Amino acid sequence: MLSSLRTGVQGVLRAASRSIQTSSALQHDSLFVHRDTPQDNPDIPFEFSEANKKRIDALLGIYPEGHKRGAMIPLLDLAQRQSGGWLPISAMHKVAEILNLPRMRVYEVATFYTMFIRRPIGKYHIQVCTTTPCWLRGSDAILKALTEGTQCHVGGNSPCGKFSISEVECLGACVNAPMVQVNDDYYEDLTVDDAKEIVEKLKKDEKPKPGPRSGRFASEPLGGLTSLTEEPTGPGYGLQDGLKS
Amino acid sequence: MLRQPLTRALKLSSPARAAPLAARTFAAQPPAPEKFEVFIDDKPVQVEPGTTILQAAALVGVEIPRFCYHERLAVAGNCRMCLVEIEKSPKPAAACAMPVMKGMRVKTNSDLTKKAREGVMEFLLVNHPLDCPICDQGGECDLQDQSMAFGSDRSRFTDIHFSGKRAVEDKDVGPLIKTIMTRCIHCTRCIRFASEVAGVDDFGTTGRGTDMQVGTYVEKMFLSELSGNIIDLCPVGALTSKPYSFAARPWETRRIDSVDVLDPLGSNIVVATRTNEVLRILPRTNEEINEEWLSDKSRFACDGLKRQRLVTPMMKDSRGNLTPVEWEDAMVAAARALQDCPPGKLLAVAGDLADAESLVALKDLVNRLGSENTCTEQYFPLEGAGIDLRSSYLCNTKIANVEESDFVLLIGANTRFEAPLLNARIRKAYIHKDTDVAFIGPKVDLTYDYTHVGDSASILKDLASGTSSHEVMKRLESAKRPVVILGADQLKTPEGAAILAYTQELALRLQDKLEDKSWKVLNVLQRTASQVAALDIGYKPGVGPVLQDGPKVVYLLGADSGVVSRDQLPKDAVVIYQGHHGDVGAAMADIVLPGAAYTEKRATYVNAEGRAQQTLAAVSPPGKARDDWKIIRALSEIVGERLPYDSLDEVRDRLSQISPALVTYGNVEDNNYFAQARALAQSLQKPVSGKVDVQLKQLEDFFMTDTISRASPTMAKCVQAVLKQKQSKY
Amino acid sequence: MSLGKILALDKLTNFFNALRQNGGIKGSLYKLYRQDELKDGKLVGEDKYGNKYYENARYFYGRNRWVEYNDKVYLNYDGSQVPAEWFGWLHYKTDLPPHQDPSRPKYKWMADFTENMSGTTGQYVPYSTTRSKVEPWVPKKAA
Repeated sequence: MLSSLRTGVQGVLRAASRSIQTSSALQHDSLFVHRDTPQDNPDIPFEFSEANKKRIDALLGIYPEGHKRGAMIPLLDLAQRQSGGWLPISAMHKVAEILNLPRMRVYEVATFYTMFIRRPIGKYHIQVCTTTPCWLRGSDAILKALTEGTQCHVGGNSPCGKFSISEVECLGACVNAPMVQVNDDYYEDLTVDDAKEIVEKLKKDEKPKPGPRSGRFASEPLGGLTSLTEEPTGPGYGLQDGLKS
Repeated sequence: MLRQPLTRALKLSSPARAAPLAARTFAAQPPAPEKFEVFIDDKPVQVEPGTTILQAAALVGVEIPRFCYHERLAVAGNCRMCLVEIEKSPKPAAACAMPVMKGMRVKTNSDLTKKAREGVMEFLLVNHPLDCPICDQGGECDLQDQSMAFGSDRSRFTDIHFSGKRAVEDKDVGPLIKTIMTRCIHCTRCIRFASEVAGVDDFGTTGRGTDMQVGTYVEKMFLSELSGNIIDLCPVGALTSKPYSFAARPWETRRIDSVDVLDPLGSNIVVATRTNEVLRILPRTNEEINEEWLSDKSRFACDGLKRQRLVTPMMKDSRGNLTPVEWEDAMVAAARALQDCPPGKLLAVAGDLADAESLVALKDLVNRLGSENTCTEQYFPLEGAGIDLRSSYLCNTKIANVEESDFVLLIGANTRFEAPLLNARIRKAYIHKDTDVAFIGPKVDLTYDYTHVGDSASILKDLASGTSSHEVMKRLESAKRPVVILGADQLKTPEGAAILAYTQELALRLQDKLEDKSWKVLNVLQRTASQVAALDIGYKPGVGPVLQDGPKVVYLLGADSGVVSRDQLPKDAVVIYQGHHGDVGAAMADIVLPGAAYTEKRATYVNAEGRAQQTLAAVSPPGKARDDWKIIRALSEIVGERLPYDSLDEVRDRLSQISPALVTYGNVEDNNYFAQARALAQSLQKPVSGKVDVQLKQLEDFFMTDTISRASPTMAKCVQAVLKQKQSKY
Repeated sequence: MSLGKILALDKLTNFFNALRQNGGIKGSLYKLYRQDELKDGKLVGEDKYGNKYYENARYFYGRNRWVEYNDKVYLNYDGSQVPAEWFGWLHYKTDLPPHQDPSRPKYKWMADFTENMSGTTGQYVPYSTTRSKVEPWVPKKAA
């Protein structure tokens, strides 16, 4: 009875606006096809720096002949670091050229891994963990502080071009929740004030101290050890007398 | 055999890079492994180790549903549709990727298997649009069929009001393939085909998880001469044929088995017709020729059969304009011209697409009129053995055997565009059998790496005499099953006879040394579908000498390649053109007799390896056009030299008198007399200095090569698209 | 019943009447050839296409009104050459021929009557908007 009433009401409500079925577009924040932009197109040349060329030689040396394509991810990472935290299409082409692979094989890898970013981003890429443990420990407030501090919305670049913020899934530092990652550094055990301080320092291009902000060294209990406090027992501890030699 | 290492398929092929030439050791074939017994649905079957469950099931006739698995592609194992229950296994296994083990008991019809299939199907359908009514794949869709057979009978999909189904942007991969990527179920068959068979590694998956999509990442046309095959491979409607889009449903069409004539291989095809109109052409499996692939020209040029057609007889009027006339008038005029012609001044020229029946009828008529001048357009050296020995102008190795070879030498034959499916075979050997390829000629892209020996004909001379110091020489000498393929285009040049003589010398020298005495090395790859039959029947290759005599009447049987032109003929010469398309030949004719195209007649064609095959009439000839041999038979009666055959069977009897090989359909005879041909060619080994060049160098050259493909709007679009892609940065 | 009738002399009279009315022996033979019939009757009227309408109550109902088509059409006459205004009188829908019927509407916009042109060169031929399946080759005209 009630369900039929609900259906009826829904029907009336839906009749008001046209009931066109639409499919949702892909939900991901990055495109999985390439669009030429002024910042990213194959006409922009890319060449590895001399230092990186040496690194490439070293990397290629790791892999046996015939399996050089295994070096693709390290090479792409090098290219991404060299071009300011993101991977232009000409860099992918360069990697394909070095590995003598079809370009498509490089595109496949570069689009698969979320660590490869295929759009121009800021100098500081702030990745905010919002998975359950961090979220329970207040990652929403951290995220809010960061977006306000940098004037950068999630998935975008800040107006100054210095920051990019993305919301990410677990970065594996749940014990030190909430946490953010800025480029290669983890900032853990954050409070809103910490987040603000990090942004301010980064704005001045100073490097904030990475690691936990709660005074912990790593992920040990905050108030000192609660177990394993006594001396370790020696061999033969707890053995019955008969077994002792 | 499972997951063969396809490292060669993944390598970027570039002509600049030479293939590694290190000679491999060919280990003796290991003894055949012992077979063991497995049980599929309690049916025992003896299989070799390494067989997959799916293959074992096929042996006992149990069909396991699949999407991603394809016999001719690498195993991917990503669709999970082939899940089956294995006794004593905790979870179902993918039958396509799971090798059988001794005593394994597979249940393909158990509750667990059914449930697994239903689950997989449900997940596939979650993101598959329900647009079957507007989908071109409808009626021949694996997903439709399998969801009926193996899917659940009801839907649990209720998410439509919330996030809905996933939608993916369509890709533009050229004028042949229409993509509706939302329908894609990520079987990756197209990716594997492009990478393994076509050798154009442009397809891939981008993104991951629910965002994964199949495509090219950048906007790029699929630059392959075999691209149409991914339409057949696609189990759903994600890749469909653009020229055929929204044209017909599969159950509305009549399908007639036929043979392709647009390249010399004679690929087997199915012509789908409706209301006397050819709608599309699909490949028909023939392991000996085309496997199950088809080149783009053969597949998509069929719309050329509807354009530029000769539908009525025509004659030049007093002002010199071709005007439509009745058959009677045209025939009488043609007969009068033939009667008035002095015997030696009659010339008959057969074109690219002429069938054996009309060739023999025309030759008989011309001979009865006292002329011996029956020629083909393509030249072939008549010195030495000439065309007397069939082995001199055929692919003696046979197309399927090329797979077994261990070294292929291509001499001025761009197989990629002259015979795409032969090239696919070479590529198959290159990938799976580690066959190496060497090429003499200009640098071209063959889709695989090859050793470029150079483009000078003198290299061939050195190879033939064994004095070459090139690495290829060593490879040829050490090869157990070498193949030498000479492009027929090379024989047109003045040095053609010498090139053929050297090729024969080289091939037969190699052949004599082989342990495998049945292995044939010499191949001459003809360019057209009619040439082999014409040479078998006794046509003289090339029109050169006869043209200089100043023929009075020229009878062109579909001769459109322009080797005969008006300004080569005396002013008062009468040109009779018989054919199906208005092209070069019809434009210069005084009398035009409309014939039938290959889809419109039952006719015999002999392919490059000497295999006679017949086309069947799929549609009737348009307008007043008629079967070609019948036109010649009717003309003979008016001329007064009645040909002694009234039915197709009688014409074929006549063909079998000339050569029984012309009517043993589907068979190919082994050729002999190699030694004699070699001996006769000895004297022709003159110094050569020319360059070896090929006519079709780029993909854009491939699409329009004969009257049918020149009339095809789709082929014209392909040429445009390829040229546009060449401008692109990707 | 008069003697003439008993002796069937009236038939003879009628025959001579018809003969006279149709223009003598020669004229009557022509009429017979053209219409297979020789009838006498009162000329009721003539339409603008030259068809003449006759009536004779002596013939039984159904045959007592008839039309003689314009001589111009000779043997190529058919029922559709009777214009709409005479159709009613000829088929006993009305006893008033058009020129004696005051109630017939006459408007400027009324179109002229056309006969059925089927089977003639003037017939209506439906045309197809679909392209022919095969495009023929059109040879280039000599300059």
